[in-house]
Amino acid sequence: MNKKYKNTVGPRRAAAYIVLIILTFFCLIWFYVLFINTTQSNSALKYGFTAVPGNYLFKNMYNLFHGPTPVLQGMLNSFIIAALSAVLCTYFSTMTAYAIHAYSFKGKKAIFTFILAIMMIPTQVTALGFIRLMNTMRLNDSFIPLIIPSIAAPITFFYMKQYMDSNLPGSLIEAARIDGAGEFRIFNSIVIPLMKPAIAVQGIFTFVASWNNYFIPNLILSDKMKKTLPIMIAELRGSDWKTFDMGQVYAMITFAIFPVIIVYLILSKYIIGGVTAGGVKE
Amino acid sequence: MATVSLQHIEKIYPAAEGGKKKKKKEPEKKNNLKVTEQGVVAVDDFNLEIADQEFIVLVGPSGCGKSTTLRMVAGLEEITNGDLYIDGKRMNGVESKDRDISMVFQNYALYPHLTVRQNLEFPLKLRKMPKAEMDKRVEHAADILGITQYLDRKPKALSGGQRQRVAIGRAIVREPKVLLMDEPLSNLDAKLRNQMRAEIIKLHQQIKTTFIYVTHDQTEAMTLGDRIVIMKDGVIQQVGTPQEVYDHPINTFVAGFIGVPQMNFYDGSLIRQGDQYSVSVGEAVIPLSAEKSARLAEKGISEGSVTVGIRPEHISLAEAPGRMLEGTVDVSEMMGASIHLHVSTMGCDSIIVVPTLNLQSGMDVSIGARIHFTFAGNAVHVFDRESGENLELD
Repeated sequence: MNKKYKNTVGPRRAAAYIVLIILTFFCLIWFYVLFINTTQSNSALKYGFTAVPGNYLFKNMYNLFHGPTPVLQGMLNSFIIAALSAVLCTYFSTMTAYAIHAYSFKGKKAIFTFILAIMMIPTQVTALGFIRLMNTMRLNDSFIPLIIPSIAAPITFFYMKQYMDSNLPGSLIEAARIDGAGEFRIFNSIVIPLMKPAIAVQGIFTFVASWNNYFIPNLILSDKMKKTLPIMIAELRGSDWKTFDMGQVYAMITFAIFPVIIVYLILSKYIIGGVTAGGVKE
Repeated sequence: MATVSLQHIEKIYPAAEGGKKKKKKEPEKKNNLKVTEQGVVAVDDFNLEIADQEFIVLVGPSGCGKSTTLRMVAGLEEITNGDLYIDGKRMNGVESKDRDISMVFQNYALYPHLTVRQNLEFPLKLRKMPKAEMDKRVEHAADILGITQYLDRKPKALSGGQRQRVAIGRAIVREPKVLLMDEPLSNLDAKLRNQMRAEIIKLHQQIKTTFIYVTHDQTEAMTLGDRIVIMKDGVIQQVGTPQEVYDHPINTFVAGFIGVPQMNFYDGSLIRQGDQYSVSVGEAVIPLSAEKSARLAEKGISEGSVTVGIRPEHISLAEAPGRMLEGTVDVSEMMGASIHLHVSTMGCDSIIVVPTLNLQSGMDVSIGARIHFTFAGNAVHVFDRESGENLELD
């Protein structure tokens, strides 16, 4: 029995491990390339990639922070926009999903379909109109057009709605109503805590998407001190041959991904199953 | 501590928009609900006066409208027609939180992210109760229900029985006017259910509030209720004390629903000789008791075909053949104190409960045995063959 098991499953498992190792390698190698390149000088980088780290790390960092680009300000700008977007997006998407999930009202189905239809429209299509609208509202060169629209996030809404359908029992809401809680109270003290895993997942997605966003911020922001990190990276890359320093670009990219990793580590601890366990008998 | 009055209460789920989902769920499964132009009638002309501190049990098969009625009292379902009064105040349209009621759900509905103490405190905090009073009430409720040692645990660390106690605790800490319970014991195993049933009776004696309890289990209904409301297809069939509904079921549905094992029904005929009535079933002719005969005579019931109902525990086995019923034992279930015999007789199945102590030695009740049985005239129920109504009652 044992022998047979070894004979049939062994090679398959070995093959699976090999495939997994290859995939893992391709996922992680780019981080290695990034960190190695951060330690190289601009001239060394021109000769191509070497697997051995160089000794230009501190020099690159020094150049970055003492260069003309306000990196720290960029990071602060990016952080304000990404964090507020993540908070507002998850809170209001959960609220919208809750309204569709918990209440019966006329046109509920139509509203649900409409929200999902919005999901199909790419940002680029509406960008021109959006920029013109912001100009008319005199909101260009402001963070508001980058933060407030994130409230309306059909994908996050859809995810929250699906999560609620399978994880938020109606009897909990009814119990809270009978216990004397108002609708806002129920949402804030019962629904939000039970939605934590979904909020954490969507919080990470929204934060990362906003952090990496280049297209809209680049159209909205023009003041040097208001620009976000992706714009600054692009500017650094696009500078003229005299000041162009690839080592500095890599240093900045490395610098830019750390906050994302930190946010991920903070939020990922909430991505655990079983938050609703024990509340109702399934 | 309050009276509850339900007057001509109706619940209609509209067929179009909004009700679509419900309609799909209800009428297809729950066959005999009335359908009007407005939609499906889940509860039809429900009238009931519940006295202060009374324990009322709504019982019926699934889909009979008992939970819907309870949810209308709770304010979780809108009342389509009729009036609901709690303590004399009209409650239609009043939000649940302003009705001063509390409810225990079948699936516990505890807040999983809060500890037991926080769960119990939740309704009190919402009423901005001072901390000292809140602690006192929580401790008291926990003490009554024996959950003091679990106060700092989360619900997921508790067993089913403990969770249901917490749910009951959360309902009683507020000292509500009316305590509603929606099949609170259905999720517990048989032993725990018996234990909790006794505890609920004690709880009612201790906290002296009005209880409205929904169940599909007739044993729970019989043991818990001061009065039982038996429902079918959204309509009240009978309201009465457990003894009343057991002794005088108003129709064949109630007769079959109340009592375990369920009542046996035979096609028979009613014979009248002056003021004395008898029923004949197969070969047997059983004279009815004077009391039953008098009631039938008073109503002027004439001879004719009837449905004869007799409870399994009121049938007795007899050795001598004569003018008795005869049948073959198909199944014999040994219950300890009694044996339940499933007997095929006159083309239908009957159940006979034979107390083991009464079983005469030498009597053969094994599978395949031919047995003879009879019943007394005071235990017979006579129902109209067509309508199923009890001919003795108005």
